[in-house]
Amino acid sequence: MKRNHLSIAAASAAALLAACSSTPESIPELDTAKAIVPQVESSPRAGVAATNISEARKALDRANELAAKGKDAEDIKFEASVAAANAQIAATKIDTAQAREEIEKGTLERQQVQLEARTREADRVQQELRDLQAKQTDRGMVLTLGDVLFDTGKATLKPGAYSTIDRLAQVLNSSHNSRVVIEGHTDSVGSEEMNQSLSEQRALAVQSALMQRGVSGSQVRSLGKGETTPVAGNDTASGRQANRRVELIFSQDASRVAAEE
Amino acid sequence: MNTLHRSLLSCFCVGAATLLMLGGCSVSQATKDAVARADTRYQQAQQTLGNSEGSAFELQRAKDHLEQAKKAVKDNDEKPAQRLAQQAELDVELAVAKSQQATARKAAAELQASIQQLRQETERSTGPTR
Repeated sequence: MKRNHLSIAAASAAALLAACSSTPESIPELDTAKAIVPQVESSPRAGVAATNISEARKALDRANELAAKGKDAEDIKFEASVAAANAQIAATKIDTAQAREEIEKGTLERQQVQLEARTREADRVQQELRDLQAKQTDRGMVLTLGDVLFDTGKATLKPGAYSTIDRLAQVLNSSHNSRVVIEGHTDSVGSEEMNQSLSEQRALAVQSALMQRGVSGSQVRSLGKGETTPVAGNDTASGRQANRRVELIFSQDASRVAAEE
Repeated sequence: MNTLHRSLLSCFCVGAATLLMLGGCSVSQATKDAVARADTRYQQAQQTLGNSEGSAFELQRAKDHLEQAKKAVKDNDEKPAQRLAQQAELDVELAVAKSQQATARKAAAELQASIQQLRQETERSTGPTR
């Protein structure tokens, strides 16, 4: 009888020890859940994963309760793993939300950088055109090629025009946002038809010279205005000479951005 | 004798039927539904995610859990079936979340790289030219 009592005591002690060995500290799944659930709960973006976070908290509470009552380790592990899985899903959703915020900010930043790049490009082009004696007008930067750069009464450019044409081609090649409209003009000597034709051919000669130097056709347009747009009186020789000219009107294409080139 | 025989027989029949019913009901309909739902979610995720980056491991784990859940249903193990179905569903949810995360992270990184490149191009074209 006494022996029997002893063995019962030993068995109870063993049972107690066993119960002790399954206290929360000894279940790694529970430790993990305890560590990561509060992390996602305290995230400033917790709202994007509210359901997962609430499920994680409920499962962790169940696991803690089971552990406190010394219940089966498998049950505790299961609840803890549900808590941990929900917390991991929440953490992933939170990071996704953060990445999307970065994309939103980055998109704005990119637009700003593009705008800045365009502004700097436009400034550089304007400076280079100013160096070529272009004038700022209400039509934009306008460069005038005088009559002396053409053979008299003809549409062929004299070699004296080449250095200007070379530099213009460089400017246009370095700035694909730049556009130029080339307008030919004449004085009123001779027939209107003749003057119209000569003005068109001179404008076209300048366009061809630029395109021979690699400028894209989409950047250049040419037209003849004949004798319709004089800048001086046609009654003096100097006035007529001023009227015989080719004008290059520059602009920046607003619809294109540097990065898309 | 005949009545006794009959009542014994009917007793036996009721008992056998009860046993059969018990056996058939040992996995609840709710658990069977849970396994079926997890299966559907898994199939959907596998179709939409395919072999997309970042979620292959979770999809495989979902598949493993799902197969074990189906086996538990067959073996009439209610609790494991229910738990495995729940785990499979969580695996699928994590797989989907990870795939979305990978897509967003990749886009964010590409955007940063393009900003960087744009900055460098701007420096290059406006810096040394003049």
